[in-house]
Amino acid sequence: MDETGKETLVSLRSVTRSVRLPDDQQLNILRGIDLEVRSGDHTSIVGRSGCGKSTLLNLLGLLDIPTSGELEFLGQPADRLGNNARARLRGSTVGFVFQQFNLLPGRSALDNVITPLFYAKGKEFWRRREIAMDMLDRVGLAARANTLPNMLSGGEQQRVAIARALVRRPRLILADEPTGALDVETGQSVMALLDTVATETAAALVTITHDTNVAALARACYRLDSGVLSPLPVAETAGVSA
Amino acid sequence: MTGFISTLVEAWQELRINKVRILLALLGVALSVAALTSVVGVGSLAREGMKVQSERNGGRVATLSLNVSGPAMPDPVKLEKAYQGIQQRYGITTSTHASQTQAGFQFPRGVTTVNVTIVDVGYGIIHRVPLQQGSWFAADDGKRLAPAVVVSEAFYNQAGRPNLTTHPTVSIPGDQPATAVMIGVVPDSYPNMPPSAFILTEGAAMTGIKPQMSEFKMWVGEEQAGALTAAITADLQGQFPGYYAQASRMDYAAYGDPLAPVQLVVGGVAGLVLLLGAVGMLNISMVTVRYRVREIGIRRSFGATSGRIFVGVMMESVVATAVAGLAGVMLAVAVVKHPWIESRVAPGLTEYPAFPIDAALMGFGAAVLVGALAGAIPALVAVRVKVIDAIRF
Repeated sequence: MDETGKETLVSLRSVTRSVRLPDDQQLNILRGIDLEVRSGDHTSIVGRSGCGKSTLLNLLGLLDIPTSGELEFLGQPADRLGNNARARLRGSTVGFVFQQFNLLPGRSALDNVITPLFYAKGKEFWRRREIAMDMLDRVGLAARANTLPNMLSGGEQQRVAIARALVRRPRLILADEPTGALDVETGQSVMALLDTVATETAAALVTITHDTNVAALARACYRLDSGVLSPLPVAETAGVSA
Repeated sequence: MTGFISTLVEAWQELRINKVRILLALLGVALSVAALTSVVGVGSLAREGMKVQSERNGGRVATLSLNVSGPAMPDPVKLEKAYQGIQQRYGITTSTHASQTQAGFQFPRGVTTVNVTIVDVGYGIIHRVPLQQGSWFAADDGKRLAPAVVVSEAFYNQAGRPNLTTHPTVSIPGDQPATAVMIGVVPDSYPNMPPSAFILTEGAAMTGIKPQMSEFKMWVGEEQAGALTAAITADLQGQFPGYYAQASRMDYAAYGDPLAPVQLVVGGVAGLVLLLGAVGMLNISMVTVRYRVREIGIRRSFGATSGRIFVGVMMESVVATAVAGLAGVMLAVAVVKHPWIESRVAPGLTEYPAFPIDAALMGFGAAVLVGALAGAIPALVAVRVKVIDAIRF
C-alpha cells in the first residue's frame, strides 16, 4: 500500500528476460525493467512490433517468469511460486484480453464467458451462469448470449472477450493489443468499455499497444524500445511514433 | 469437492460441444469393444458347446473308468463288490455301469433292433444326458416291474411319438418278453441316427438284455482325480492279484485342457481387435490435442492448473469411452445371444448359458483402459504446452 492508499499488485525491479536461440546465441528481450502496477492504475505500454511488449505482459500476468531481477505479485516473489500456485493466482487475480480475441470456437458467447468460472470455487462456480450473464449484460451483449463467436462481429467478439476477462472480477486486467484487429471506431468503443469497467471495479488496467491513440487513453504511459522501458509523459503520447 | 465437480462439468461440456468428433472416435471404440466382447462371448459359448459335447461323450471332468482284465474274466460278483467297496471307501457318490448291446423292440411297423445302453442313474449326470421330453431315471426306477426306458428321438418317432404323460409302453420280445415304459426322450446325436435307448441295469436283467462289455465309471472332483486314480488303481490291484487293474480318466480334459488353444486363439484375436481400436482412439486424441493446443493455452491463462488440464483431457476420454464401452457390450450381448448365432456356434447345446459376465466386464474394462491410455498420452502433451506459445499457436 503506498501513500495514496493504492495497493501494489505487480512490481518489477531490474527484470530481464532472455531466451537461448537455436544457434546458442542469447537474445535479450527485456533489459532492466522497473515497473509498478497498483490497483486502479490505467497504464499503457507502447512499442514497435518485436520490442518485447507481449513478453512483458506475460511476466505481468504470471504466464512467464523473469530470467533475472525481481518480480513480486501481490507481495509474493513470482519465482518462489510453483506453476500451479501461479496458475491459481492468475485465475483469481488477472484477466487477459487478447488481440485475436481467442474465443473458444464452437461455444456460445455465454459458454465462453463461463469458462474462467470453471476454475473458481464455491459460489463463483455454482452461480457461474448467472454471473456470466450479468457480465455479458454489462458489455451490452445479453441478447447475443447464445450466439457462436463466428456469428459475432469483431467488436462484439472483443466485448465477449472483455466480459470473459472480467467475469472473475480480476484486480489486474492485461490487454494485449485489444484493438489490433478492430477498426478505429470499434476500437475506441472497446477501449472506452475496458476503461469504464476497470474503473468501476477498481481494477488496474495495463494495455499494450502500438496505437498511440489507444495509449493516450491511459493515465500513465511507458515506451518499450529494444527491451528497455522508459516513462512517457501522457501529453507526448499522441506524438509518439510507434 | 467443487474442483472435482467442475472438472466433470467441464469434461461434459467438452463432450457436448465436440460431439461430432467425439462420436466418430467413440464409434470406433464402441465397435472395437463390441467386436472384442463378441469374440470372447462367442469363444466362450463355443467352448461351452465343445465342452458339453465332449462331456456327453467321455463324461464330466473328471470321470474315472475302472478296468480289471487278465488271463480269465474276473468274477463278476467279486468285481461288483470291489466297485461298491471303492465307492464307499473314497466317498464317491456318482457312478454308473455302462455297457452297449442290442435288443429288439416292437414298434407299430414291426420289431426293430435298437442300440441299448445299460446304465445306472448316475450315467445321466456323468454324461450330461440332455432331455427333449420327460425325465431321466430316478433312484426308484430300478424297482419298477415294467422297466423304464429313456429313448432317442428316432426311437420315439418310430413308436409314433406318444404323449409321455400317458406313460406309453413298448414291448420287448425275446426270451423274457417284457413291456417297458417310455419316460424320457433324448435328442439324436446326428441326423438319421438309428434308434437307441437307455435302460437301467436292473431293468435290463429283468428283460434278459445282456450287457456285452461293461465298464464302471465314477465322477470325482478334478482336484483329487490324480490322487484318486493312483489310490484306486492300487486298491483294485490289491483285490485282484494276477490281473491287470487300472483306474483311468476318460474325460476330455484327462491330458490337459484341449480347448486351451482355442481359448488362446480367441484371446489373441480379441487382443488384436482391441489394439486396433486403441490405436484409432489414440490417433484421434493426439490429433485433437494438437488442434486444441491454443484452447488449452487460453484455459491456462484463466487459471487452469496443469493437473486440471491433465485430468480434464483424461476425463473426457475416459467418460466417453466408458459410454462407448457400455454401448459396445450391449451390442455384443445382442449379437451373441441371438438365437441364430447361438444355434450355429454351439449346436450341441439344448440350453444356452447366460452371456459370460467376464466377457462383458472385460469389454467394459478394456474400453475404460483404452480411454485412460488414449487420454493419458494427449493429456501429457497438453500439460507440456507452454502457455505463451499455445496462445499464439
